[in-house]
Amino acid sequence: MKKSGISRRRFIEYTGAAGLGIGLSSVLPQILLAKTGIKVASGATNPLGLAANTQAEGVFFSGGFGHAYIEYAAEIFAEVHPGSSMSVEGIQRVGERLRPRIIAGNPPDVMDNSGAGNLDTGALVGEGEILDLGPLMSAPAIDTPGKTFGETLFPGSQNSGLFDGVQRYVNIAFTVFGVWHSKSLFDEKGWNYPTTWDGMLSLCDTIKSSGIAPWTYQGKYPQYMLFGLLEPMVSKIGGTQIWKDVDNLVPGAWEHPAMLQALNMMKALHDNGYIMEGTPGLTHTESQAEWLQKKAAFIPCGTWLENEMRSITPGGFDMVIKSVPSDDASKLSWIDASSGEPFMVFSNGKNPVAGMEFLRCLLSKESAKWFAQNVGSIMPVVGGAEGVELSSAMTSALTAVENAGPNILDRPSFPGWYSDIYSEVKDSMGALLTGRASAEEFIERVQGASDEVREDEDIVKFKRS
Amino acid sequence: MHRNKYGIILPFLAPALILYSLFVIYPYAQAMYVAFTKWKGLRKSPRFVGLDNFEKMLGDDKFWNALSNNLIYLVFLPIITLGFALFMAFMISQKVRFSNFYRVTFFFPQVMSVVAIGILWSFVYHPTIGIFSSLLKAVGIENPPIWLGDPDTALWSIVAVTVWQSAGFFMVIFMAGMLSIPKSLYEAAALDGAGRGSTFFRITFPLLWENTRSSLVFITVIAMDMFGITFTMTQGGPDRSTDVLATLLYEHAFLHSRFGYATSIAMVYFVIVIVLTLLIFRVTRRETIEF
Repeated sequence: MKKSGISRRRFIEYTGAAGLGIGLSSVLPQILLAKTGIKVASGATNPLGLAANTQAEGVFFSGGFGHAYIEYAAEIFAEVHPGSSMSVEGIQRVGERLRPRIIAGNPPDVMDNSGAGNLDTGALVGEGEILDLGPLMSAPAIDTPGKTFGETLFPGSQNSGLFDGVQRYVNIAFTVFGVWHSKSLFDEKGWNYPTTWDGMLSLCDTIKSSGIAPWTYQGKYPQYMLFGLLEPMVSKIGGTQIWKDVDNLVPGAWEHPAMLQALNMMKALHDNGYIMEGTPGLTHTESQAEWLQKKAAFIPCGTWLENEMRSITPGGFDMVIKSVPSDDASKLSWIDASSGEPFMVFSNGKNPVAGMEFLRCLLSKESAKWFAQNVGSIMPVVGGAEGVELSSAMTSALTAVENAGPNILDRPSFPGWYSDIYSEVKDSMGALLTGRASAEEFIERVQGASDEVREDEDIVKFKRS
Repeated sequence: MHRNKYGIILPFLAPALILYSLFVIYPYAQAMYVAFTKWKGLRKSPRFVGLDNFEKMLGDDKFWNALSNNLIYLVFLPIITLGFALFMAFMISQKVRFSNFYRVTFFFPQVMSVVAIGILWSFVYHPTIGIFSSLLKAVGIENPPIWLGDPDTALWSIVAVTVWQSAGFFMVIFMAGMLSIPKSLYEAAALDGAGRGSTFFRITFPLLWENTRSSLVFITVIAMDMFGITFTMTQGGPDRSTDVLATLLYEHAFLHSRFGYATSIAMVYFVIVIVLTLLIFRVTRRETIEF
C-alpha cells in the first residue's frame, strides 16, 4: 500500500487550517512584493537561474477551473522576475492545438495537458518531449522558507507524474474521489450513510421505496464508476497491490478475486434496479443535474463536482463526499485522492527554465490561497488553504482525507499510461452496469485489452511500485 | 494557334493547380505513405512497416464492428432518405397548400451545423426530459427505450436524425429535376387517363434518373462518414454500438496516438467510397433523355 503519510495532525498543518505555517515563516527573512502579496523567501528568488528579460510562453487547458488562476501565477512570475514574463493562453482540446507545433519542433514552454482531447502523456514522455523536473523539485520553494519545492507539495500527490522514477509533470489540483449525497436530503429522510456494502444495498432498498432512485452515474461516461467505486472497493477488499499489478501489466492482474467481488457488488446496483432509469443515456452534467434535483440519492464523482454544477445547485443542497463502503466497515475511511491537472514543461521549448520557474510560482502558497479562494478547489500545497473559508463540499472532502489518515489510496496510473485499457474499461463498465455483461465478462474483456497492450511492442511501457 | 492557346491557358490555370497540388494532392500522397508506417503523431518521423497496419486491421474486431455499422447506414440511409425526399418533392410539386412553407421547413436542417443538430437531438432523446420519452410516458408506456444509452436503439436513433437532417437537401435536388420535366409530358399522360401514381412511376421517376444517381453518390458519402453526428451524440458508444470508421480512426489517432494505423483505416475508408461511387455510376448508367 502506498501510504501518503498525511497524518491527521499533519493534514491540518498542511492545509494551514491551524495556521501553523505562519509561525515558521515569520522567523526567516522574506521579501514582500506589493502587487500579489507574495513573500519571497530569502535565497529563493531565482534558484533555477532564469535569464533576465525572458519572454516565455504558456498554453493551458481552461476547463472547470478556468485560467484566471494561471494568470495570477503569471503575475507572481512577472513580479518576482521584473522584465521577464509568461504569456498565458487558455484553450480547450490541447492535443489538436499543440500537436502541429510539437511536430514542427516549436512547442510552447509550459502547458497544462488536461481536459477532453488532450495529448497522450505516455507517448509524449516516450518520445522525449517532456523535461525532467528534477531540478525544480529540489529547488527552494518560493514562499516557504527552508523547504524545497518538492517538500511543499502534499506527500504522494506527485506520484502520478513519475515515469520510471523521473518527475515529468506536476499536478496542481488536489482531488478527492468518492460518492456524493445531499446532506440535507439525508437528514430530512433520516438516512445514514452506510458503513458496509450490505448496508448500502439495504439503504438503497429504503431509498427506492421512498420514490427516489438510489443511484445514478455519468451514463455516457461510465468510467466515473471506475474511480468512484471500483478502485477503492478493490483496494479495500484485496489490498492496493492489485492496482500496482494492473499498472505494471502483470499477467492476470484483472483476474484477482477482489476484482470479481467488487464488480459483482457494483452489479448488484443494476440487478436490484437501484440505478435511476435513463442513466445510460445521460451525459455527466445531465446525470449530475438529475442528482441535484434529488431524483437520485448517490452519484460518484471527484471534488470538481461542486464547481462544475455551481450555477444550478439548489440552495441548501449541502453536497458531501464520502468514501464508498466495502465488505469491511473498518476500512470505510479509506479514500481515493490524487492530484490532477498535470502541468509539464517541454524539453524542446525555447525557455525550459522559465517553464520550471513558472511552476514554482504556480505552486506557491500565495497562488494556492488564491486558487482556494477564487476557484474553490485545493492545490496540493502545504499551507495552501490558510485562512480560506471552505464550502460544505470542500469541508467534507478535507474531513474525508483527514479521517483516512495514512489510508489515502493512490489512483492507478493505467488510464494515463495505456489509453487502450482505459477505453475498454469504459465500454465494459457501461455494459456491466446495464446488465449486458457479467463481472466475469468485464474481467475477460479488460484483461484481454491489457494482454494486447503488454504484447504490443510499439506501446512504451512504464513501471511503478 | 495551338501554341498560343496554351500560352494563355497555362498562366491562368497555374495558381489554381499549384494550390490544389499543395493543399490537396500532396497531403493525400503523404497520407498514403503514413498508412504504411507506425507514427505516434509527435516528432520522430514515421517508421515504415509495410502492410503491418492492414494486416492488423484484418484481425481487429473494432474495425469490423465499425465497418459493419457503416454498412448498416449504407443500406438503410439511401432507401429511407431518398424515398422520403422523393415523396416530399413529388407532393410539394403537386401544389399542395403551403407547399412553399414545407419546402423551406424541410430544407432548414440542412443549413444548421452538425454539432448544433447533435446537441439538439441529444435533448430530444434525453431519457427524462426528452420529448420522445415524455410522450411515451404520457400515453402510459412506463419504460420507454433509453434511445442513446442502449446499444439496440442508439444506431437507429442516429439513422433518424440523419434522415431528418439530409432529406430536405435531396428533396430540393429532386424538385429541381421535376421542374425541368416538360409540362407537355404530364398533359399527355393526363389525357391518357394516368393517375398520380402512374404519372410518378412512369414519367417523373424515370426522368429524375440523373438526379437520383448523384443523390446516391452524396448519400453514400454521408453514410460512410457519419462522424459529426456520431461524435456529438454518442462518441461511438454505448459499448461501440455506433462506432463508425471515422470515429474509430479519430480515436486511434487522437486518443491512442496511432497515426499510422488511423491513416490506414482512412485509406480503406477512402477506397471504399471511391469504389462505391464508381460502382453507382457504372450500375446506374443509362442513356440520358434530352428534352
